[in-house]
Amino acid sequence: MTVILTIFAIGLSVGLLSGLLGIGGGVVLVPMLVFLLGVAQHTAQGISMLVIIPTSIVSVWIFYKEKLINYQAAAYMATGAVCGALISANLVQAVPASDLKRIFGIFVIFSGARMIWGTRKK
Amino acid sequence: MSERLKYLGAGFIVGIFSGLLGVGGGIFLVPIMVTYFNITQHVAQATSMAIVIPTALSSSIIYGFHGNIDINLAVNLTVGSILGASVGARIMKKIPAVRLKQLFAVLLIVVGVRMVLA
Repeated sequence: MTVILTIFAIGLSVGLLSGLLGIGGGVVLVPMLVFLLGVAQHTAQGISMLVIIPTSIVSVWIFYKEKLINYQAAAYMATGAVCGALISANLVQAVPASDLKRIFGIFVIFSGARMIWGTRKK
Repeated sequence: MSERLKYLGAGFIVGIFSGLLGVGGGIFLVPIMVTYFNITQHVAQATSMAIVIPTALSSSIIYGFHGNIDINLAVNLTVGSILGASVGARIMKKIPAVRLKQLFAVLLIVVGVRMVLA
């Protein structure tokens, strides 16, 4: 029961933060799963992928109604992105968890730096 | 034609990072669309979400094949996440987000350093 409440609270804060700050959920969710729930790095990243899907569908539905989607860019970039993701998602399984955690850490630092940079320009 | 090839190439590179990190890739897609393809910020954000869906779907299938998916955990997180996102998006317009963003950015950098050093 406590575990379920913790998971729900994590999901809630991830959604709240991504809605509030306009950032993707993955960068917040993966460290929380790893540090708070002790989930393995690879599994945390797999779960993050899965959580992203329904959240994006909800947003895309809203954007579709507001006619904000560039379909040409979306179709071609998505085709490229799916090919890239299929390759790297397979390769990443062979990367040791400790190395993957470091790689992810660099990405988290990059995201933080980008956020600070974004607030300075305004 | 060349524009389409550029879209494909940019998407491919973002897809590599997305599968590697287990994230959607919006953080890379939005600046690429705004900077290199002259797409406005709002349209870029909306379009990136549309790209994230098939990308995350194909990656999560691969992660699942390798046993790195926990459906129960994901479903519980999703319920909270969708609730939180709708609340967050609504109150975003009412509070000044700049200071909050700076504070959270510092927190992200600290967490990132911890992950690198761990």
